Amino acid sequence: MTTAATPLTGDARILLPPAIQKDAVIYVRALVAHPMYTGMSRDEKGALIPEYYIKTVDITYGGHRVARFEWTSGISRDPYVAFPLRASHEGPLQVAWTDTKGRVYTQTAAISFAG
Amino acid sequence: MHDQESTGRRSFLRAAVVALAALSLSGRDLLGAATGPGDDMPDAAKKVLRERFGTRPIKDGHVSLDLPEVAPDSREVPVFIETDLPMDAERYVKAIHLIVDHNPDIYVAGFELTPALGKASIDTRIKMRRSSQVRAIVETSAGELWWAHKLVYTTLNGCV
Repeated sequence: MTTAATPLTGDARILLPPAIQKDAVIYVRALVAHPMYTGMSRDEKGALIPEYYIKTVDITYGGHRVARFEWTSGISRDPYVAFPLRASHEGPLQVAWTDTKGRVYTQTAAISFAG
Repeated sequence: MHDQESTGRRSFLRAAVVALAALSLSGRDLLGAATGPGDDMPDAAKKVLRERFGTRPIKDGHVSLDLPEVAPDSREVPVFIETDLPMDAERYVKAIHLIVDHNPDIYVAGFELTPALGKASIDTRIKMRRSSQVRAIVETSAGELWWAHKLVYTTLNGCV
């Protein structure tokens, strides 16, 4: 059991628009629950909380990497990011968040076309 | 009596504002074309740029950076970065870099992108220690660097 990580740490979500047309550029919103400690905050007893944050985010679409983010603890708690994606084919969109303890949180959403 | 006093104060203030404006204008004239958004950068932030980009020039333009002028919560400052640069197989935006001059970690985040995205933009939320310039640098597949910057005022230390 780790100290101070919230019970929800790693709870991850991908939000897609309701209807996707082939070749449209859509906006993907991705969220993960994470404390994103900077190493500069203190707990209720006054002790420094060690830094602990999401370091990389890998995004694959149909098995191919389409984006990779490099983060520091300067990204807010429970990180949110939205990015464009051209819906060129039907297939899984996967987001994998890796934190400084090496824990990986993944979430997958299906890109499928309307109609 | 009271009226006169406030008029005096007002004209003094007006004179002070005019003097300040004149000062800043003449300062800009003296520096001439060398004045750029990087001129007021702290050395630590300049060092980050040097380490990341060497001596490659960073030019103004092609980047739009949307941030609040005053951040009501410096633990969650919304940032939206967008560019009109092409995003196709031959020419594309390969990365967006986010820098906050006065944060403990000056280089806040890097976003590597590929043409499969179809457009280049990033929407996220950042922490800010204090009022600071926030800079977005867009790097193209040809190695060009474009940037935009914005001064954001904060009230509290959000680096928690």
